[in-house]
Amino acid sequence: AADPAVISPQDPTLLIGSSLVATCTVSATSPLKAEDLYWTLNGRRLPPTSYTALGPTTLGVALAHLNGSKQQSGDNLVCHSRDGGILAGSCLYVGLPPEKPVNITCWSKNMKDLTCKWAPGTEGETFLHTNYTLKYKLRWYGRDNTCQEYHTAGPYSCHIPKDLALFTPYEIWVEASNRLGVAVSDVIMLDILDVVTTDPPPDVHVSRVGDLEDQLSVRWSSPPALKDFLFQAKYQIQYRVEDSSEWKVVDDVGNQTSCRLAGLRPGTVYFVQVRCNPFGIYGSKKAGIWSDWSIPTAASTPRSERGAGGCDPKGGEQNTTLRRELKQFFGWVKKHAYGCSNLGIKLYDQWRVWLQKSHKTRNQVGKEP
Amino acid sequence: GDSWGIFTFLCAALCNLPALPALNCTEELGTSQSIQKTYDLTRYLEHQLRTLAGTYLNYLGPPFNEPDFNPPRLARAERVPSATVDLDLWRGLTDNARLAANYRAYSRLLCYLRALDGQEGTAELRHRLGHFCSSLQGLVLSIAGVMSSLGYPLPAGPAGPTTPPGTPVAPNDFLKKMDDFWLLKELQTWLWRSAKDFNRLKKKVPPAVVTLRLEARGF
Repeated sequence: AADPAVISPQDPTLLIGSSLVATCTVSATSPLKAEDLYWTLNGRRLPPTSYTALGPTTLGVALAHLNGSKQQSGDNLVCHSRDGGILAGSCLYVGLPPEKPVNITCWSKNMKDLTCKWAPGTEGETFLHTNYTLKYKLRWYGRDNTCQEYHTAGPYSCHIPKDLALFTPYEIWVEASNRLGVAVSDVIMLDILDVVTTDPPPDVHVSRVGDLEDQLSVRWSSPPALKDFLFQAKYQIQYRVEDSSEWKVVDDVGNQTSCRLAGLRPGTVYFVQVRCNPFGIYGSKKAGIWSDWSIPTAASTPRSERGAGGCDPKGGEQNTTLRRELKQFFGWVKKHAYGCSNLGIKLYDQWRVWLQKSHKTRNQVGKEP
Repeated sequence: GDSWGIFTFLCAALCNLPALPALNCTEELGTSQSIQKTYDLTRYLEHQLRTLAGTYLNYLGPPFNEPDFNPPRLARAERVPSATVDLDLWRGLTDNARLAANYRAYSRLLCYLRALDGQEGTAELRHRLGHFCSSLQGLVLSIAGVMSSLGYPLPAGPAGPTTPPGTPVAPNDFLKKMDDFWLLKELQTWLWRSAKDFNRLKKKVPPAVVTLRLEARGF
Protein backbone atom coordinates (compact mmCIF):
# COMPACT_ATOMS: atom_id res chain seq x y z
CA ALA A 1 0.00 0.00 0.00
CA ALA A 2 1.30 3.44 -0.85
CA ASP A 3 2.11 5.87 1.94
CA PRO A 4 -0.76 8.29 2.66
CA ALA A 5 1.46 11.31 1.95
CA VAL A 6 5.00 12.31 1.02
CA ILE A 7 7.05 15.05 2.65
CA SER A 8 9.85 16.90 0.94
CA PRO A 9 12.64 17.30 1.87
CA GLN A 10 12.82 13.97 3.64
CA ASP A 11 15.26 13.95 6.58
CA PRO A 12 17.35 17.00 5.58
CA THR A 13 20.45 18.26 7.35
CA LEU A 14 20.63 22.01 7.98
CA LEU A 15 22.92 24.58 9.55
CA ILE A 16 21.61 26.42 12.62
CA GLY A 17 19.83 29.60 11.61
CA SER A 18 18.90 28.42 8.16
CA SER A 19 15.36 28.46 6.81
CA LEU A 20 13.36 25.74 5.19
CA VAL A 21 10.22 25.34 3.11
CA ALA A 22 8.75 21.85 3.42
CA THR A 23 5.87 20.38 1.44
CA CYS A 24 3.38 17.62 2.18
CA THR A 25 1.72 16.01 -0.84
CA VAL A 26 -1.23 13.73 -0.21
CA SER A 27 -1.29 10.56 -2.29
CA ALA A 28 -3.55 10.42 -5.34
CA THR A 29 -5.69 7.69 -3.80
CA SER A 30 -6.57 9.79 -0.77
CA PRO A 31 -9.71 11.96 -0.60
CA LEU A 32 -7.85 14.62 1.39
CA LYS A 33 -7.04 18.08 0.02
CA ALA A 34 -4.45 20.69 1.01
CA GLU A 35 -6.94 22.51 3.24
CA ASP A 36 -7.45 19.31 5.29
CA LEU A 37 -3.83 19.26 6.42
CA TYR A 38 -1.78 20.85 9.20
CA TRP A 39 1.80 20.69 10.47
CA THR A 40 3.44 20.01 13.83
CA LEU A 41 7.10 20.33 14.80
CA ASN A 42 8.17 18.26 17.81
CA GLY A 43 4.55 17.82 18.77
CA ARG A 44 3.62 21.49 18.62
CA ARG A 45 1.24 22.78 16.00
CA LEU A 46 2.76 25.28 13.56
CA PRO A 47 0.76 28.48 12.97
CA PRO A 48 -1.42 28.51 9.81
CA THR A 49 0.18 31.84 8.87
CA SER A 50 3.29 29.91 7.93
CA TYR A 51 1.34 27.61 5.56
CA THR A 52 1.06 27.96 1.79
CA ALA A 53 -1.13 25.87 -0.47
CA LEU A 54 1.08 24.88 -3.37
CA GLY A 55 -1.47 22.83 -5.23
CA PRO A 56 -4.77 21.06 -4.58
CA THR A 57 -3.11 18.28 -2.64
CA THR A 58 0.11 19.95 -1.50
CA LEU A 59 0.53 22.09 1.61
CA GLY A 60 3.80 23.93 2.21
CA VAL A 61 5.18 25.35 5.47
CA ALA A 62 7.92 27.91 6.00
CA LEU A 63 10.33 27.50 8.90
CA ALA A 64 12.75 30.36 9.51
CA HIS A 65 15.89 30.73 11.62
CA LEU A 66 15.94 27.15 12.84
CA ASN A 67 17.41 26.43 16.26
CA GLY A 68 19.61 23.42 16.92
CA SER A 69 17.70 20.12 16.96
CA LYS A 70 15.86 19.40 20.18
CA GLN A 71 17.12 15.80 20.13
CA GLN A 72 19.98 14.16 18.29
CA SER A 73 17.58 11.80 16.51
CA GLY A 74 16.26 14.83 14.63
CA ASP A 75 13.34 17.23 15.02
CA ASN A 76 10.03 15.63 14.14
CA LEU A 77 8.22 17.60 11.41
CA VAL A 78 4.86 15.92 10.87
CA CYS A 79 2.05 16.40 8.32
CA HIS A 80 -1.39 15.64 9.80
CA SER A 81 -4.89 15.26 8.49
CA ARG A 82 -7.60 17.40 10.06
CA ASP A 83 -8.56 14.71 12.62
CA GLY A 84 -5.00 14.57 13.95
CA GLY A 85 -3.92 11.42 12.15
CA ILE A 86 -0.29 11.23 11.04
CA LEU A 87 0.14 11.16 7.25
CA ALA A 88 3.90 11.53 6.96
CA GLY A 89 6.93 12.81 8.84
CA SER A 90 10.43 14.10 8.24
CA CYS A 91 13.35 14.28 10.67
CA LEU A 92 15.19 17.61 10.59
CA TYR A 93 18.83 17.55 11.62
CA VAL A 94 19.76 21.12 12.54
CA GLY A 95 23.17 21.82 14.03
CA LEU A 96 26.78 22.80 13.59
CA PRO A 97 29.75 21.05 12.08
CA PRO A 98 32.16 19.60 14.66
CA GLU A 99 35.17 21.45 16.01
CA LYS A 100 38.51 19.78 16.10
CA PRO A 101 39.05 17.52 19.09
CA VAL A 102 41.71 18.66 21.55
CA ASN A 103 43.85 17.51 24.48
CA ILE A 104 44.77 14.05 23.26
CA THR A 105 46.52 12.15 26.06
CA CYS A 106 47.63 8.53 25.91
CA TRP A 107 49.10 5.91 28.19
CA SER A 108 50.41 2.40 27.73
CA LYS A 109 49.89 -0.35 30.27
CA ASN A 110 53.14 -2.25 30.60
CA MET A 111 54.06 -1.36 27.00
CA LYS A 112 51.46 -3.84 25.79
CA ASP A 113 48.69 -1.54 24.63
CA LEU A 114 47.77 2.11 24.19
CA THR A 115 44.72 3.96 25.48
CA CYS A 116 44.06 7.52 24.38
CA LYS A 117 41.48 10.03 25.42
CA TRP A 118 40.55 13.43 24.06
CA ALA A 119 38.07 16.24 24.52
CA PRO A 120 35.51 17.35 21.93
CA GLY A 121 36.38 20.76 20.54
CA THR A 122 32.98 22.30 21.06
CA GLU A 123 32.39 23.93 24.39
CA GLY A 124 28.69 24.00 23.63
CA GLU A 125 26.72 21.54 21.56
CA THR A 126 26.70 20.64 17.91
CA PHE A 127 23.15 19.25 18.32
CA LEU A 128 24.04 16.43 15.98
CA HIS A 129 25.45 13.03 16.76
CA THR A 130 29.22 13.24 16.35
CA ASN A 131 31.35 10.24 15.54
CA TYR A 132 34.97 10.15 16.65
CA THR A 133 37.68 8.09 15.03
CA LEU A 134 41.15 7.77 16.48
CA LYS A 135 43.87 7.16 13.96
CA TYR A 136 47.53 6.39 14.36
CA LYS A 137 50.56 5.60 12.29
CA LEU A 138 54.23 5.04 12.85
CA ARG A 139 56.25 8.05 11.88
CA TRP A 140 58.21 7.33 8.69
CA TYR A 141 55.99 4.36 7.79
CA GLY A 142 53.06 5.08 5.50
CA ARG A 143 50.05 3.17 6.79
CA ASP A 144 47.22 4.79 8.73
CA ASN A 145 45.56 2.58 11.33
CA THR A 146 42.15 3.05 12.88
CA CYS A 147 41.43 2.36 16.53
CA GLN A 148 38.48 0.01 17.02
CA GLU A 149 37.65 -0.24 20.73
CA TYR A 150 35.97 2.94 21.90
CA HIS A 151 34.67 4.23 25.25
CA THR A 152 37.09 2.12 27.31
CA ALA A 153 38.09 5.05 29.53
CA GLY A 154 35.16 7.42 29.27
CA PRO A 155 33.07 8.57 26.29
CA TYR A 156 35.98 10.10 24.38
CA SER A 157 38.53 7.34 24.50
CA CYS A 158 39.85 4.45 22.49
CA HIS A 159 41.99 1.41 23.21
CA ILE A 160 44.59 -0.11 20.91
CA PRO A 161 45.17 -3.60 22.31
CA LYS A 162 48.12 -4.92 20.33
CA ASP A 163 50.70 -4.72 17.56
CA LEU A 164 52.42 -1.68 18.98
CA ALA A 165 55.99 -0.89 18.14
CA LEU A 166 58.56 0.49 20.52
CA PHE A 167 61.42 2.89 19.80
CA THR A 168 59.68 4.58 16.85
CA PRO A 169 57.31 7.43 17.61
CA TYR A 170 53.64 7.28 16.70
CA GLU A 171 51.58 10.03 15.14
CA ILE A 172 48.12 10.11 16.63
CA TRP A 173 45.07 12.18 15.78
CA VAL A 174 41.29 12.16 16.16
CA GLU A 175 38.71 12.85 13.47
CA ALA A 176 35.30 14.12 14.45
CA SER A 177 32.47 13.90 11.96
CA ASN A 178 28.78 14.59 11.91
CA ARG A 179 26.19 15.20 9.21
CA LEU A 180 27.52 18.70 8.60
CA GLY A 181 31.20 18.04 8.28
CA VAL A 182 34.49 16.73 9.55
CA ALA A 183 37.13 18.19 11.84
CA VAL A 184 40.59 16.75 12.45
CA SER A 185 42.59 17.35 15.61
CA ASP A 186 46.22 18.34 15.64
CA VAL A 187 48.59 15.40 15.32
CA ILE A 188 50.46 14.45 18.46
CA MET A 189 53.64 12.50 18.40
CA LEU A 190 54.58 10.09 21.12
CA ASP A 191 56.88 7.27 21.94
CA ILE A 192 55.24 4.38 23.77
CA LEU A 193 58.15 4.25 26.19
CA ASP A 194 57.43 7.76 27.38
CA VAL A 195 53.86 7.06 28.44
CA VAL A 196 54.18 3.79 30.26
CA THR A 197 52.15 3.03 33.32
CA THR A 198 51.84 -0.17 35.23
CA ASP A 199 49.72 -2.04 37.73
CA PRO A 200 49.59 -0.89 41.33
CA PRO A 201 52.24 -2.56 43.52
CA PRO A 202 50.95 -5.91 44.73
CA ASP A 203 51.22 -7.47 48.20
CA VAL A 204 50.95 -4.25 50.18
CA HIS A 205 51.34 -5.10 53.86
CA VAL A 206 51.02 -2.62 56.68
CA SER A 207 52.10 -3.71 60.13
CA ARG A 208 52.93 -2.29 63.50
CA VAL A 209 56.48 -1.62 64.50
CA GLY A 210 56.66 -3.54 67.76
CA ASP A 211 54.81 -1.49 70.35
CA LEU A 212 55.69 1.86 68.85
CA GLU A 213 52.44 3.71 68.97
CA ASP A 214 53.18 6.33 66.34
CA GLN A 215 54.57 4.16 63.58
CA LEU A 216 53.51 1.69 60.96
CA SER A 217 55.69 -0.25 58.57
CA VAL A 218 54.59 -0.52 54.92
CA ARG A 219 55.95 -3.18 52.61
CA TRP A 220 55.08 -4.05 49.00
CA SER A 221 56.36 -5.80 45.89
CA SER A 222 57.35 -4.20 42.64
CA PRO A 223 54.78 -4.73 39.87
CA PRO A 224 55.55 -8.09 38.28
CA ALA A 225 54.65 -7.12 34.70
CA LEU A 226 57.67 -4.88 34.39
CA LYS A 227 60.16 -6.93 36.35
CA ASP A 228 62.04 -7.93 33.21
CA PHE A 229 62.56 -4.39 32.05
CA LEU A 230 65.25 -2.10 33.24
CA PHE A 231 63.71 0.75 35.08
CA GLN A 232 64.01 2.58 38.29
CA ALA A 233 60.60 2.54 39.81
CA LYS A 234 59.40 5.43 41.86
CA TYR A 235 56.82 4.86 44.55
CA GLN A 236 54.42 7.05 46.41
CA ILE A 237 52.47 6.27 49.53
CA GLN A 238 49.33 7.91 50.71
CA TYR A 239 47.60 7.30 54.00
CA ARG A 240 44.70 8.64 56.01
CA VAL A 241 43.00 8.18 59.33
CA GLU A 242 39.94 5.96 59.19
CA ASP A 243 37.36 8.69 59.63
CA SER A 244 39.00 11.37 57.56
CA SER A 245 38.91 11.89 53.82
CA GLU A 246 42.18 13.79 53.77
CA TRP A 247 45.06 11.75 52.39
CA LYS A 248 48.64 12.46 53.32
CA VAL A 249 51.20 11.76 50.62
CA VAL A 250 54.72 10.49 51.13
CA ASP A 251 56.65 11.56 48.08
CA ASP A 252 60.25 10.74 48.68
CA VAL A 253 59.98 6.98 48.90
CA GLY A 254 62.45 6.44 46.05
CA ASN A 255 62.68 2.95 44.67
CA GLN A 256 62.66 0.86 47.83
CA THR A 257 59.80 -1.49 48.49
CA SER A 258 59.31 -0.61 52.12
CA CYS A 259 58.76 2.48 54.18
CA ARG A 260 58.19 3.42 57.78
CA LEU A 261 55.44 5.90 58.56
CA ALA A 262 56.02 7.83 61.75
CA GLY A 263 54.40 10.61 63.68
CA LEU A 264 51.09 8.80 63.62
CA ARG A 265 48.32 8.96 66.15
CA PRO A 266 48.30 6.09 68.64
CA GLY A 267 45.39 3.69 68.77
CA THR A 268 44.13 4.77 65.37
CA VAL A 269 43.17 2.86 62.26
CA TYR A 270 44.98 4.01 59.13
CA PHE A 271 44.32 3.23 55.46
CA VAL A 272 47.41 3.05 53.29
CA GLN A 273 47.83 2.92 49.51
CA VAL A 274 50.90 2.66 47.30
CA ARG A 275 51.43 3.46 43.65
CA CYS A 276 54.24 3.07 41.18
CA ASN A 277 55.78 5.10 38.37
CA PRO A 278 57.99 3.15 35.91
CA PHE A 279 60.43 5.99 35.68
CA GLY A 280 63.10 5.92 33.01
CA ILE A 281 62.03 2.70 31.35
CA TYR A 282 64.53 1.54 28.72
CA GLY A 283 66.46 4.69 29.29
CA SER A 284 63.56 7.00 28.59
CA LYS A 285 64.36 10.40 30.00
CA LYS A 286 60.81 11.11 30.88
CA ALA A 287 58.87 10.12 33.94
CA GLY A 288 56.30 7.45 33.25
CA ILE A 289 52.71 7.67 34.33
CA TRP A 290 51.68 6.85 37.87
CA SER A 291 49.75 3.61 38.28
CA ASP A 292 46.45 3.50 40.09
CA TRP A 293 46.68 3.36 43.84
CA SER A 294 46.72 -0.11 45.34
CA ILE A 295 43.59 -1.24 47.15
CA PRO A 296 43.70 0.40 50.59
CA THR A 297 45.27 -1.70 53.33
CA ALA A 298 44.31 -1.02 56.90
CA ALA A 299 46.28 -1.28 60.10
CA SER A 300 46.10 0.30 63.50
CA THR A 301 48.71 1.83 65.73
CA PRO A 302 48.95 0.48 69.25
CA ARG A 303 46.95 2.29 71.90
CA SER A 304 48.98 4.81 73.91
CA GLU A 305 49.88 3.94 77.52
CA ARG A 306 49.49 6.61 80.18
CA GLY A 307 52.46 7.21 82.48
CA ALA A 308 55.26 8.29 80.22
CA GLY A 309 57.68 8.25 83.09
CA GLY A 310 57.52 4.53 83.15
CA CYS A 311 57.56 4.05 79.40
CA ASP A 312 60.62 2.50 77.98
CA PRO A 313 60.80 1.81 74.28
CA LYS A 314 59.50 -1.71 74.17
CA GLY A 315 59.73 -4.45 71.64
CA GLY A 316 62.77 -5.93 70.06
CA GLU A 317 62.50 -4.36 66.66
CA GLN A 318 65.38 -3.28 64.46
CA ASN A 319 68.14 -1.23 65.90
CA THR A 320 67.31 1.97 64.15
CA THR A 321 68.15 5.55 64.80
CA LEU A 322 64.50 5.87 65.76
CA ARG A 323 64.98 3.70 68.77
CA ARG A 324 67.79 5.86 69.93
CA GLU A 325 65.76 8.95 69.43
CA LEU A 326 62.86 7.58 71.40
CA LYS A 327 65.22 6.86 74.25
CA GLN A 328 66.34 10.44 74.03
CA PHE A 329 62.77 11.63 74.10
CA PHE A 330 61.82 9.77 77.20
CA GLY A 331 64.95 10.95 78.90
CA TRP A 332 64.02 14.49 77.97
CA VAL A 333 60.49 13.96 79.21
CA LYS A 334 61.69 12.66 82.52
CA LYS A 335 63.70 15.82 82.90
CA HIS A 336 60.96 18.23 81.85
CA ALA A 337 57.77 16.64 83.02
CA TYR A 338 56.45 16.01 86.48
CA GLY A 339 53.97 13.26 85.92
CA CYS A 340 53.17 12.98 82.25
CA SER A 341 49.40 12.68 82.07
CA ASN A 342 48.61 16.27 81.06
CA LEU A 343 51.78 17.07 79.24
CA GLY A 344 52.22 13.94 77.21
CA ILE A 345 50.93 15.08 73.81
CA LYS A 346 52.19 18.64 73.99
CA LEU A 347 55.62 17.52 74.95
CA TYR A 348 55.64 14.98 72.23
CA ASP A 349 54.79 17.65 69.70
CA GLN A 350 57.53 19.91 70.97
CA TRP A 351 60.01 17.12 70.81
CA ARG A 352 59.03 16.22 67.29
CA VAL A 353 59.47 19.76 66.08
CA TRP A 354 62.93 19.71 67.59
CA LEU A 355 63.63 16.36 66.01
CA GLN A 356 62.55 17.56 62.58
CA LYS A 357 64.76 20.56 62.83
CA SER A 358 67.79 18.64 63.99
CA HIS A 359 67.87 15.98 61.32
CA LYS A 360 65.73 14.94 58.41
CA THR A 361 65.70 11.20 58.61
CA ARG A 362 64.60 9.26 55.58
CA ASN A 363 61.32 7.36 55.76
CA GLN A 364 59.87 9.60 58.38
CA VAL A 365 56.86 11.79 58.21
CA GLY A 366 56.99 14.77 60.49
CA LYS A 367 53.51 15.99 61.15
CA GLU A 368 50.90 14.32 63.21
CA PRO A 369 47.59 14.02 61.38
CA GLY B 1 23.35 -7.43 37.51
CA ASP B 2 20.87 -10.15 38.24
CA SER B 3 20.09 -10.73 34.59
CA TRP B 4 23.67 -11.68 33.83
CA GLY B 5 23.57 -14.25 36.61
CA ILE B 6 20.38 -15.79 35.33
CA PHE B 7 21.61 -15.64 31.76
CA THR B 8 24.95 -17.30 32.47
CA PHE B 9 23.35 -20.00 34.56
CA LEU B 10 20.73 -20.76 31.94
CA CYS B 11 23.36 -20.86 29.20
CA ALA B 12 25.31 -23.40 31.21
CA ALA B 13 22.25 -25.46 32.05
CA LEU B 14 20.82 -25.40 28.57
CA CYS B 15 24.07 -26.36 26.86
CA ASN B 16 23.35 -29.85 28.05
CA LEU B 17 19.71 -29.90 27.07
CA PRO B 18 19.48 -30.99 23.45
CA ALA B 19 21.16 -34.34 24.00
CA LEU B 20 20.10 -35.18 27.53
CA PRO B 21 16.86 -35.06 29.42
CA ALA B 22 16.64 -31.83 31.35
CA LEU B 23 16.57 -33.51 34.71
CA ASN B 24 20.01 -35.04 34.24
CA CYS B 25 21.49 -31.61 34.89
CA THR B 26 23.37 -31.33 38.11
CA GLU B 27 21.04 -28.47 39.07
CA GLU B 28 17.78 -30.36 39.18
CA LEU B 29 15.22 -27.71 38.41
CA GLY B 30 11.70 -28.93 38.71
CA THR B 31 9.68 -27.82 35.71
CA SER B 32 7.40 -25.81 37.97
CA GLN B 33 10.46 -24.00 39.27
CA SER B 34 11.55 -23.21 35.71
CA ILE B 35 8.12 -21.85 34.99
CA GLN B 36 8.26 -19.74 38.13
CA LYS B 37 11.68 -18.42 37.10
CA THR B 38 10.38 -17.58 33.64
CA TYR B 39 7.43 -15.78 35.16
CA ASP B 40 9.75 -13.83 37.43
CA LEU B 41 11.89 -12.93 34.43
CA THR B 42 8.93 -11.49 32.55
CA ARG B 43 8.05 -9.30 35.51
CA TYR B 44 11.65 -8.14 35.81
CA LEU B 45 11.80 -7.37 32.09
CA GLU B 46 8.54 -5.49 32.29
CA HIS B 47 10.07 -3.29 34.95
CA GLN B 48 13.27 -2.82 32.95
CA LEU B 49 11.30 -1.98 29.84
CA ARG B 50 9.59 0.93 31.52
CA THR B 51 12.94 2.65 32.04
CA LEU B 52 14.28 1.66 28.63
CA ALA B 53 11.15 2.85 26.83
CA GLY B 54 11.22 6.15 28.70
CA THR B 55 14.82 6.77 27.68
CA TYR B 56 14.29 5.64 24.12
CA LEU B 57 11.13 7.62 23.50
CA ASN B 58 12.77 10.75 24.91
CA TYR B 59 15.56 10.15 22.44
CA LEU B 60 13.04 9.94 19.60
CA GLY B 61 11.59 13.20 20.84
CA PRO B 62 8.04 14.58 20.89
CA PRO B 63 5.45 13.50 19.86
CA PHE B 64 6.83 9.96 20.38
CA ASN B 65 7.26 10.45 24.11
CA GLU B 66 3.82 11.95 24.63
CA PRO B 67 1.54 9.70 26.66
CA ASP B 68 -1.37 9.68 24.21
CA PHE B 69 0.73 9.19 21.11
CA ASN B 70 -0.94 6.74 18.76
CA PRO B 71 0.54 6.72 15.24
CA PRO B 72 -0.89 4.63 12.43
CA ARG B 73 0.36 1.10 12.32
CA LEU B 74 1.63 0.77 8.78
CA ALA B 75 1.85 -2.55 6.97
CA ARG B 76 5.60 -2.48 7.51
CA ALA B 77 5.14 -2.66 11.27
CA GLU B 78 3.22 -5.93 11.00
CA ARG B 79 6.52 -7.78 11.02
CA VAL B 80 6.47 -7.75 14.81
CA PRO B 81 4.32 -10.64 16.08
CA SER B 82 1.31 -9.28 17.92
CA ALA B 83 0.51 -10.33 21.46
CA THR B 84 -3.09 -9.31 21.08
CA VAL B 85 -5.25 -12.36 20.73
CA ASP B 86 -8.88 -13.36 21.13
CA LEU B 87 -9.61 -14.33 24.74
CA ASP B 88 -11.20 -17.69 23.97
CA LEU B 89 -8.39 -18.50 21.58
CA TRP B 90 -5.89 -17.67 24.29
CA ARG B 91 -7.68 -19.77 26.89
CA GLY B 92 -7.82 -22.68 24.52
CA LEU B 93 -4.11 -22.76 23.71
CA THR B 94 -2.33 -26.00 24.51
CA ASP B 95 0.74 -25.71 26.72
CA ASN B 96 2.90 -26.40 23.70
CA ALA B 97 1.23 -23.76 21.56
CA ARG B 98 1.32 -21.25 24.40
CA LEU B 99 5.01 -21.76 25.02
CA ALA B 100 5.83 -21.82 21.30
CA ALA B 101 4.04 -18.51 20.71
CA ASN B 102 6.08 -16.91 23.49
CA TYR B 103 9.32 -18.42 22.25
CA ARG B 104 8.78 -17.28 18.65
CA ALA B 105 7.69 -13.80 19.66
CA TYR B 106 10.61 -13.06 21.92
CA SER B 107 13.13 -14.52 19.48
CA ARG B 108 11.88 -12.13 16.80
CA LEU B 109 11.63 -9.20 19.19
CA LEU B 110 15.19 -9.82 20.34
CA CYS B 111 16.44 -9.71 16.75
CA TYR B 112 14.71 -6.41 16.08
CA LEU B 113 15.90 -4.89 19.34
CA ARG B 114 19.47 -5.85 18.56
CA ALA B 115 19.16 -4.24 15.15
CA LEU B 116 18.21 -0.90 16.73
CA ASP B 117 20.85 1.55 15.73
CA GLY B 118 23.92 0.82 17.81
CA GLN B 119 25.96 3.86 16.95
CA GLU B 120 23.38 6.56 17.38
CA GLY B 121 21.82 7.42 20.67
CA THR B 122 23.35 8.50 23.91
CA ALA B 123 25.75 6.33 25.88
CA GLU B 124 23.03 5.85 28.50
CA LEU B 125 20.59 4.59 25.88
CA ARG B 126 23.07 2.18 24.34
CA HIS B 127 23.90 0.87 27.79
CA ARG B 128 20.25 0.32 28.76
CA LEU B 129 19.53 -1.31 25.43
CA GLY B 130 22.46 -3.68 25.79
CA HIS B 131 21.39 -4.65 29.28
CA PHE B 132 17.81 -5.22 28.18
CA CYS B 133 18.86 -7.42 25.26
CA SER B 134 20.89 -9.61 27.62
CA SER B 135 17.91 -10.02 29.89
CA LEU B 136 15.63 -10.74 26.95
CA GLN B 137 18.06 -13.37 25.72
CA GLY B 138 17.78 -14.90 29.18
CA LEU B 139 14.02 -15.05 28.82
CA VAL B 140 14.23 -16.80 25.44
CA LEU B 141 16.56 -19.40 26.93
CA SER B 142 14.33 -19.79 29.94
CA ILE B 143 11.30 -20.51 27.76
CA ALA B 144 13.37 -22.98 25.76
CA GLY B 145 14.26 -24.68 29.02
CA VAL B 146 10.66 -25.04 30.05
CA MET B 147 9.72 -26.43 26.65
CA SER B 148 12.51 -28.98 26.73
CA SER B 149 11.71 -30.11 30.24
CA LEU B 150 8.12 -30.71 29.17
CA GLY B 151 9.29 -32.60 26.11
CA TYR B 152 8.17 -30.09 23.51
CA PRO B 153 10.32 -29.42 20.46
CA LEU B 154 11.64 -25.90 20.00
CA PRO B 155 10.00 -24.02 17.12
CA ALA B 156 12.33 -23.72 14.15
CA GLY B 157 13.11 -20.36 12.71
CA PRO B 158 15.28 -17.31 13.20
CA ALA B 159 16.48 -17.18 16.78
CA GLY B 160 19.91 -15.85 15.93
CA PRO B 161 21.25 -12.36 16.17
CA THR B 162 20.78 -11.47 12.50
CA THR B 163 17.75 -9.59 11.24
CA PRO B 164 15.30 -12.06 9.72
CA PRO B 165 15.48 -12.06 5.93
CA GLY B 166 12.75 -10.30 4.05
CA THR B 167 12.40 -7.54 6.62
CA PRO B 168 12.17 -4.27 4.76
CA VAL B 169 14.35 -1.59 6.28
CA ALA B 170 12.32 1.57 6.92
CA PRO B 171 12.75 3.85 3.86
CA ASN B 172 13.16 7.04 5.89
CA ASP B 173 14.16 8.14 9.37
CA PHE B 174 10.66 9.14 10.46
CA LEU B 175 9.17 5.79 9.50
CA LYS B 176 12.02 4.10 11.33
CA LYS B 177 11.08 6.07 14.45
CA MET B 178 7.52 4.83 14.10
CA ASP B 179 8.76 1.24 13.72
CA ASP B 180 10.84 1.66 16.87
CA PHE B 181 7.82 3.03 18.72
CA TRP B 182 5.69 0.03 17.76
CA LEU B 183 8.49 -2.39 18.62
CA LEU B 184 8.57 -1.05 22.16
CA LYS B 185 4.77 -1.10 22.39
CA GLU B 186 4.61 -4.71 21.24
CA LEU B 187 7.33 -5.72 23.68
CA GLN B 188 5.31 -4.18 26.46
CA THR B 189 2.14 -5.99 25.42
CA TRP B 190 3.96 -9.30 25.14
CA LEU B 191 5.45 -8.99 28.62
CA TRP B 192 1.99 -8.29 30.06
CA ARG B 193 0.63 -11.28 28.23
CA SER B 194 3.51 -13.60 29.13
CA ALA B 195 3.03 -13.00 32.82
CA LYS B 196 -0.50 -14.35 32.38
CA ASP B 197 0.69 -17.19 30.14
CA PHE B 198 3.20 -18.39 32.71
CA ASN B 199 0.82 -17.93 35.58
CA ARG B 200 -1.55 -20.24 33.76
CA LEU B 201 1.20 -22.77 33.09
CA LYS B 202 2.28 -22.64 36.75
CA LYS B 203 -1.16 -23.84 37.81
CA LYS B 204 -1.17 -26.64 35.28
CA VAL B 205 2.26 -28.09 36.09
CA PRO B 206 2.57 -28.87 39.83
CA PRO B 207 5.70 -30.78 41.00
CA ALA B 208 3.76 -34.06 41.26
CA VAL B 209 3.10 -34.10 37.52
CA VAL B 210 6.81 -33.86 36.82
CA THR B 211 7.63 -36.89 38.95
CA LEU B 212 4.94 -38.87 37.11
CA ARG B 213 6.51 -38.02 33.79
CA LEU B 214 9.89 -39.20 35.01
CA GLU B 215 8.53 -42.61 35.91
CA ALA B 216 6.65 -42.90 32.66
CA ARG B 217 9.93 -42.47 30.79
CA GLY B 218 11.56 -45.10 32.89
CA PHE B 219 14.26 -42.89 34.43
